Amino acid sequence: MLEVSGLSVAYGKHRALDDVTLSVAQREIVVILGANSSGKTSLLKAIAGVVPKSGARVSLNGRDLEKMRANDIVEAGLALVPEGRGIFGELTVRENLLLGAYAKRARAKEKENLERAISLFPKLAQRMGQAANTMSGGEQQMVAIGRALMSAPDILLLDEPSLGLAPVVCGELFASLGKIRDAGIGVLLVEQNAKRSLQIADRGYLIETGRITGEGSAAQLREDPAVQRAYLGVA
Amino acid sequence: MFTEPLLSGITLGGIYALIAMGLTLQYGVARIMNLSYGESLVAAAFAALWLFTSVSVNPLIGLFVIVPLAGIINWLIYRILLVPLVKRAPSRDALEVDSILATFGLLFVAQGVMLAIFGGNYFSYDFLSIPVKIFGATISASRLLALGFAVVIGLALYLGLTRTRAGTAIRAVAVDPVSAQLVAIDVRATAAFAYALGGALVAAGGVLVSMFLTFNANLGVVFTMKALIVVIMGGVGNLLGCLVAGLILGLTETFVATYVDPGLTLAATYIIFILVLLLRPQGLFGTRRS
Repeated sequence: MLEVSGLSVAYGKHRALDDVTLSVAQREIVVILGANSSGKTSLLKAIAGVVPKSGARVSLNGRDLEKMRANDIVEAGLALVPEGRGIFGELTVRENLLLGAYAKRARAKEKENLERAISLFPKLAQRMGQAANTMSGGEQQMVAIGRALMSAPDILLLDEPSLGLAPVVCGELFASLGKIRDAGIGVLLVEQNAKRSLQIADRGYLIETGRITGEGSAAQLREDPAVQRAYLGVA
Repeated sequence: MFTEPLLSGITLGGIYALIAMGLTLQYGVARIMNLSYGESLVAAAFAALWLFTSVSVNPLIGLFVIVPLAGIINWLIYRILLVPLVKRAPSRDALEVDSILATFGLLFVAQGVMLAIFGGNYFSYDFLSIPVKIFGATISASRLLALGFAVVIGLALYLGLTRTRAGTAIRAVAVDPVSAQLVAIDVRATAAFAYALGGALVAAGGVLVSMFLTFNANLGVVFTMKALIVVIMGGVGNLLGCLVAGLILGLTETFVATYVDPGLTLAATYIIFILVLLLRPQGLFGTRRS
């Protein structure tokens, strides 16, 4: 269970996030919908410890994360697949995946988790020796998610995983997120593709200029006229 | 006739490659452009000299004392002197500039201390300068041993970086330090370790060089320059590039000194360097970054 309350992020004088409160339980997918530069990326980065946050309480299964450095947050059980994937392009797919298990918490189950990642993304099996930057966008996203899963996370954060992917690949990707949830992992997803993400999500939050402006079950959000107008393209 | 400069050139080149590998680790992983790099080499050479002449410890045994010690000293330099720069730098580029200034100062401190202790005279010592016949050429046993050690150390480094978890983590930090922390790598600790490892490598180079070259307290800058040339020629962060560029440099220097004029070695080095920069600015094995 990831619990965030009172989270703010500022870059100089610009306030990117203001007093955000949300939670993600195990075995659920939570989606955050918002326009460009509404603070979604800052939110995930702040939770993962990549950018500094102020005044927040962030806890994972009762452990406080707010004072931890990014690498320790991974050890605590939270993994981020960043915007733009953040894979190690010059390293091979195998090296990328095994680096995912660099966290001490993941080393004992490295083999099992590698098998799990490959069963989730079978295409990677033939590409293990290839440099990651020579692959297609969809395959790179698989490496990024696979790498995050290798750290045996309790909570997985994903920043725009479908960005720039072809529709077919996108479908595979969302299907894999469902399987990840079914394995017991809590998924916090930031997405532009509101339609697809509301189909697989359990709950969702709306974010506007750094503030949470609404929340509800995925079904409620799908029916919400404001959501339909803003994100689902319904007039 | 021909094999003699060839063997000498390979020895010198092998050591250049070793030294450059250390610099590329410090620069590529810790993003510290260490201008005082050669000072570690000269200090190690003096340490080997002192161990040999004062307590008659063979430099090959001295390696096992000097190299770990150099690693520890470089680690401390990073933790005490450079971490404050790392913490306050807004970007990696800013850190590069700050580190150039800081290590430029360190260069003069280290050089001054060595000048105060040893003066400006050239030193050398007589260790295994027995002539050995190999492929019809004569070469001193100390040079061959130095080459052998450089090969073993370079190979161990390569295998360590490519075949172990810790080595892969070091390369990951070089490729993308932001993503590295997302796989639970402690980037600051890894950078400190890479910096220390680089210092240990150049110290190993210093001990090996002291076995067959004369040196003085001012020589550090020359080695820093050569290491820098090899790193840039080979492609920043590329170990294979270090090896090839190091050998090119060592062979060029030796052949020009033997067949043309010893005074022209530096000129020849720079001609090759400039040619590489003109034709392949990213280095022989480097990848173009967008």
